[in-house]
Amino acid sequence: MNSAIVETINVTREVAWLPWAVSYFFLIGLSYGAFLLSLPGIVFRRPNWEGISRLALLGALVCGLTAPVALLADLHQPGRFWHFYAYFTPSSWMSWGAFFIPVYLGGLVLYAWLAFRPLLADHARSGGRLAGLAGVLAYGGHECRRALVGAAVVAFVGSALVALYTGVEVMVIRARPLWYTPLLPVQFFITAVAGAVGLTLLFNRFGPRNDPSAVGRLAKVLAVTQVVALGVGALWLALGLSGLSPVHAEALTQVAPAANWRLSAAWAAGATVLTLALAWWRPGSGLLIGLLALHSAWMMRWTIFIGGQEVPKTGAGYYSYSLPLGPEGLMGIVGTAGLWVFLLILITTLLPLDRLAGPIRQGA
Amino acid sequence: MKIFEITPETGACSQSRRAFLRGVPVLTAAAAVPGAALAKSGSPHHWGMLVDVRRCIGCQACTVACIQENAVPEGSFRTVVSTYSVQVTDGDQPAGTYVLPRLCNHCDEPPCVPVCPVSATFKRDDGMVLVDADRCVGCGYCVQACPYDARFINHDTQKADKCTFCAHRVDAGLLPACVETCVGGARIFGELNDPQGELRRRLDEAGSALKVLKPEQKTAPQVFYIGLDERFEGKVQGQGSLWKPRASHV
Repeated sequence: MNSAIVETINVTREVAWLPWAVSYFFLIGLSYGAFLLSLPGIVFRRPNWEGISRLALLGALVCGLTAPVALLADLHQPGRFWHFYAYFTPSSWMSWGAFFIPVYLGGLVLYAWLAFRPLLADHARSGGRLAGLAGVLAYGGHECRRALVGAAVVAFVGSALVALYTGVEVMVIRARPLWYTPLLPVQFFITAVAGAVGLTLLFNRFGPRNDPSAVGRLAKVLAVTQVVALGVGALWLALGLSGLSPVHAEALTQVAPAANWRLSAAWAAGATVLTLALAWWRPGSGLLIGLLALHSAWMMRWTIFIGGQEVPKTGAGYYSYSLPLGPEGLMGIVGTAGLWVFLLILITTLLPLDRLAGPIRQGA
Repeated sequence: MKIFEITPETGACSQSRRAFLRGVPVLTAAAAVPGAALAKSGSPHHWGMLVDVRRCIGCQACTVACIQENAVPEGSFRTVVSTYSVQVTDGDQPAGTYVLPRLCNHCDEPPCVPVCPVSATFKRDDGMVLVDADRCVGCGYCVQACPYDARFINHDTQKADKCTFCAHRVDAGLLPACVETCVGGARIFGELNDPQGELRRRLDEAGSALKVLKPEQKTAPQVFYIGLDERFEGKVQGQGSLWKPRASHV
């Protein structure tokens, strides 16, 4: 017996994780991705990576300091954030995340300060804007390799924990088949690293030096991320279509009938292929591939979070989401971006992009 | 109809709603204390509900009673009777209506509880899954984890909200508002541990006709259904709602 069902009365459940959450996952992803990019030049002293790594560290810092504000704003009771620390709940990945974030950010800020101290001292000596403040922050401008490596280790452990929890926190939600796939944390991670490469390319492009060799190196890294992203995406699709993985098959079943989901998938695949092609054959197009990578990182998170919440758990069809203009929507995104820009201006006033992208000082 | 029964062994003896009201201790003070204390440790009860879909007429009296009783904000619902038009495509009969009362399933394995980062969501020993509003941070993680779309963020309180089985009423010896008001007697609330009780007896009699929503989720719901069509057990495959109320919080 075949039947056609039309839902005449039901409830629309609104999205509970607002665009603030998208902003948080986007920014924290860029932050830990950019932190990883900072390691080759600053910690491992890999030749020709100094400028790239310092620009990446700038990105990690700006994104890392902005992200928790967006996360806090996504709480409907932001004043109760201290409850996370008063009522630790080991069964909740979000509860663990509340402890992982300070570990990462504490390590990151310390690492960035130790890495940038000499440059802050240079800025203080050169008498640039806020030179006095730079001098205070430099605190002598000494380099301490052992402390730098120690802080990098703390930040690395923190970044790994943050990457883990931000992926698994979403992946464990069995009630949402689209989220309940073991490949989701991998997809978050790889798009985060790609987005971080994109951000570093942007900093390099808008810095006064616009180092072409740096663009070429970053383009190679970006191409690798896009290959991995396409591979993971193809694996996800193959597992869903073949039925080898029931969870992937269920996820595919939920979204495949919808035209907007098919368009989103085609868009994501197209953007990734385009980024790969440009990064591989036109590595000089740093600005374009950088923007494409950032766009893909944002779109992936928007589609997963907002799109995922548009799929009813029991009701028929799909909920429809339209972006509100207020703080719970567009203004939240704009406000987060505004904080990001403010921090970027503040930090680059003390540490101008040309000084960050320039050759490393002897012995640094 | 006998709404509720508790045997002498369980501490109360009643054959009627009025007797039930007399028999269950009044525990309203519990509503004022935090989650851990609300756990009602050692409770002899295990509350549950049976929804006999065959008796539901889709009048939404339960929906309205719940809103009135619990001050649910406009556009939000702790319970609702989902209503569907079903047309048999390979037959000549006209389209029929299928109604399905939905509410929190007060699962014995509630996926909303372990994800709560501050332990604000908890399950009492008497089976009720509740939210400690003084502790909830409104993160929405429990809303995501519930497989039944039974939770939402209350825009008046900015906290997670859901059906409580009208815990404040049950603790005071009353029935949940939706049960009290149900026109067709489709909702039967009671004591799962009482073998002589109306609920237990109806559940046992139902046999294979007894179903729960989304059994594959292994959440052990304590809201049971008779007359639940398999096409409506999980996510319904069909055209989306013609009427979907939205919260007007902006």
